[in-house]
Amino acid sequence: MHRSSPHAKVVRRQLNITPIIYRYQGNLLQSTLQAVGLGKRFPGVVALDDVTITLQPGHVLALVGANGAGKSTLIKILTGYYDHYDGTIEIDGRHVALHDPSAARRAGIQAVYQEVDTVLIPYLTVSENLLLGQYAHALVSWRALHAQAQAELARVGLQLDGHRRVEDLVLHEKQMLVIARAVSQDVRYLIFDEPTTSLSLHEVERLFDIIRTLKAQGVGIVYISHRLMEVAAIADDIMVLRNGRKVAHFPVADFDVGRISEAMLGTAITNVYPPKREQAPGEVILKVEHLTRARKLHGVSFLARQGEIVGVAGLVGAGKTELLRALFGADPVDHGKIYLDGKMVKITSPQRAVTHGIFLIPEERRAQGVLVDEKMRKNISLPFLGQFTWAFDLLHRRREDIHATATVEMLAVTPNDPEVEVRNLSGGNQQKVVIGKWLAGNARVMLFDEATQGIDVKAKQDVYRIVRDLAQKAAVIYASSDIDEVIGVADRIIVMHDGRIVAELDSAQFDRNLILEYATGSRTPMIQTVEDTKHAEKN
Amino acid sequence: MADVSQLQPTQTNTNLPPTLPPGARRSVIVEFIVRYGMLVAIALLMVFFSTQNERFLEINNLFLIARAASILTIVAIGVTLSVTVDGFDVSVGAVTGLSVLLSTSLMVIWNVDWGVAILITLGAGLIVGLINAFFIIKLRIPDLLATLGMLYLAQGFQLMLTQGEAVFRGMYNPWSPERVQTTGEITVAFKQIGQGFVGATGEFNGIPIPVILMLFIAISAHIFLQYTRWGRMFYAVGGNREAARLSGIPVNRVRMFAYMLSALLATIAGIVLASRIGTGAIRSGDPYLLDAVAATFFGFAVLGARRPNVFGTVIGALFVGILLNGLTQMDVQWFFQDFIKGFVLIASLAMSFFLVKRNQGG
Repeated sequence: MHRSSPHAKVVRRQLNITPIIYRYQGNLLQSTLQAVGLGKRFPGVVALDDVTITLQPGHVLALVGANGAGKSTLIKILTGYYDHYDGTIEIDGRHVALHDPSAARRAGIQAVYQEVDTVLIPYLTVSENLLLGQYAHALVSWRALHAQAQAELARVGLQLDGHRRVEDLVLHEKQMLVIARAVSQDVRYLIFDEPTTSLSLHEVERLFDIIRTLKAQGVGIVYISHRLMEVAAIADDIMVLRNGRKVAHFPVADFDVGRISEAMLGTAITNVYPPKREQAPGEVILKVEHLTRARKLHGVSFLARQGEIVGVAGLVGAGKTELLRALFGADPVDHGKIYLDGKMVKITSPQRAVTHGIFLIPEERRAQGVLVDEKMRKNISLPFLGQFTWAFDLLHRRREDIHATATVEMLAVTPNDPEVEVRNLSGGNQQKVVIGKWLAGNARVMLFDEATQGIDVKAKQDVYRIVRDLAQKAAVIYASSDIDEVIGVADRIIVMHDGRIVAELDSAQFDRNLILEYATGSRTPMIQTVEDTKHAEKN
Repeated sequence: MADVSQLQPTQTNTNLPPTLPPGARRSVIVEFIVRYGMLVAIALLMVFFSTQNERFLEINNLFLIARAASILTIVAIGVTLSVTVDGFDVSVGAVTGLSVLLSTSLMVIWNVDWGVAILITLGAGLIVGLINAFFIIKLRIPDLLATLGMLYLAQGFQLMLTQGEAVFRGMYNPWSPERVQTTGEITVAFKQIGQGFVGATGEFNGIPIPVILMLFIAISAHIFLQYTRWGRMFYAVGGNREAARLSGIPVNRVRMFAYMLSALLATIAGIVLASRIGTGAIRSGDPYLLDAVAATFFGFAVLGARRPNVFGTVIGALFVGILLNGLTQMDVQWFFQDFIKGFVLIASLAMSFFLVKRNQGG
């Protein structure tokens, strides 16, 4: 074991900490978790029904399923979130009861969630967070603390300055830190819940390296993701859940996207993406010139026409979000011009953008897109409340009801009752509400930012269809870090790298590798921004 | 990944009525306590007090209680508006006191007509709200700290107005070098606002004017928050400021408006208070701050709202009023009263938050 490196041992002795792992060390490599007949029901809902699962050391089990399939419920049972559940769980033939989080932790089960911020303390350092609750001394020896933290970080091959504050870390560093902390607490089974949603390709590779290291150390891994290609790359076994039941389980050698999608949804999906534009695009609606914001956007210029979907491809951090937010007036810009239907407009606030018919579907649905504690109706009518009033700004409830009901029907939101609060909806349906709130307006430009993040295939398909419909009368800008998605959805693609547009491709030129090369900066930009040209002239 | 989304009934079982997400299916008893607990508590309280004092439930006494609670209610509605936009205005008590001193000293020291004095005082209140909004929105001082600063500013201004003296008829003018006696007075018409009754018949003393004023404000504020576009925007800004901003809501204007209304209502309460006591007592508004905040949070528990709402706040303020009036009539000594108030506040908050949370845990 890595753990027994002489240095770590010395540190441990100095700190007088007895790591629990020594007790397990004998059977660490052969402890198998066997859960039989797991189930969980809520009043009126069967969230999980008779699922049997085996976690083996050094083995990656991928769990896939649409939203609401029961993946989260399964994880919550294994991490001790529920005080009662059906079925039995055994580790090495010994029965364990996982009725509270500390029981799960004692059994060596931990999870790394997508929202890592909730488990870290932002104003403490990396070392302090790493050893949270494990540091056994009344008086803190900072030197020893940092030394121990470094030893733990080294175990997962992570290089991170222990003195940095967690609030200064970027997302993937935080995620790595959470993994390192789990490992330091003698994890035997580690569950990853959608870990790659906000990671760049490079960061995903690093995560996979860590998972492989853990695998080699005999940790049993559960990997949950909507991205089937990742599953194919990292998993040993794949298990598919649907409506709380296990519907398929096969080794990765039998991996087949069609088969998995079919198992997930119960029906075969022939084509996720809607048909491409049939007619030539119409008039130019949006013209952007030299949009610049210090360190974020550098002289961005492009056009968008009626009836076309302009895809914005680029890695995480390439400036896609910044571009859309600038167009929407959510962030200030230093200079640059925006023309709408041939006329120059000043977009100084989202409010101005909305009056001009520029609408944004923001990146973070729950934090920026919806009011989760409000009903769908109130979310849907929010941006254009003026349309639902009579005298003295009094709300015209019947008109609001009619509009909300029609919107919910049109977007096929389930449940189709606008009086349901948004927090009770699945991610895909919440996203439909975010789109739905703009439908009362006269859209000229629709801006989509990572619109299908964390939603299932069926909901994605619905969203793509809606995007295509919206493009009939407006210009649509569709930004995504998922290159395949941009290729599937867009009629034309602009590629961003480091706050610049580096390439513009027509549908005939769409090619995954080409886009990737532009996006990573490994290919000379096809488009030179004015700023760059000036710079080049000087040299 | 969103956890609640996993429990969504239509995804797992399409036969379920869609209006019943799992969290909504609580036990009937808990549901009843959460919704009606506060109202039942008030009813029980009144029944209890009426057994202790047979005149407690007489109509005249009830209106006296309402009158005593009306000033608090008006202040509390202002606090509720600021809490609705996810802000907090702790300057209200001091602004109430400032309003008392400003309105009375205008009349007594500077011989201003009572109507004009009211208008000037209301204008001053709006300016205070505007300054609060400026501190919070433009200078980005956290709301609690900004309004805490305003609390001291308003309190200080209140003292400086008369050089620390109370205002009453025939007082010496603190601003004249010879300290001549003032000739202005707090007129009968002005005193009617706080002391008058409307519609007296025989045994019935009539409805106190402060109660009418309070009801008018409460109903207007309720309609404003629940049934107007602006009210909807208030809740949107309070629910998620960023999502509201990205929906094109003029977030800063909404917040400014909330602080102005909060200060305006505190000023109105001050005018009623000045009229009620008939003099300009120093720092007479201070006690209203804590009671108003308490009433606002009591209001969270009424009808299981779990959010600021005018109806709940009014019930909360009346609750505090009834409690204090009843305790006083029962000869419970004054030094017990704060303790009892605190106990009741915690109990009602526990009711609305703890029970609800437990039942949503699944």
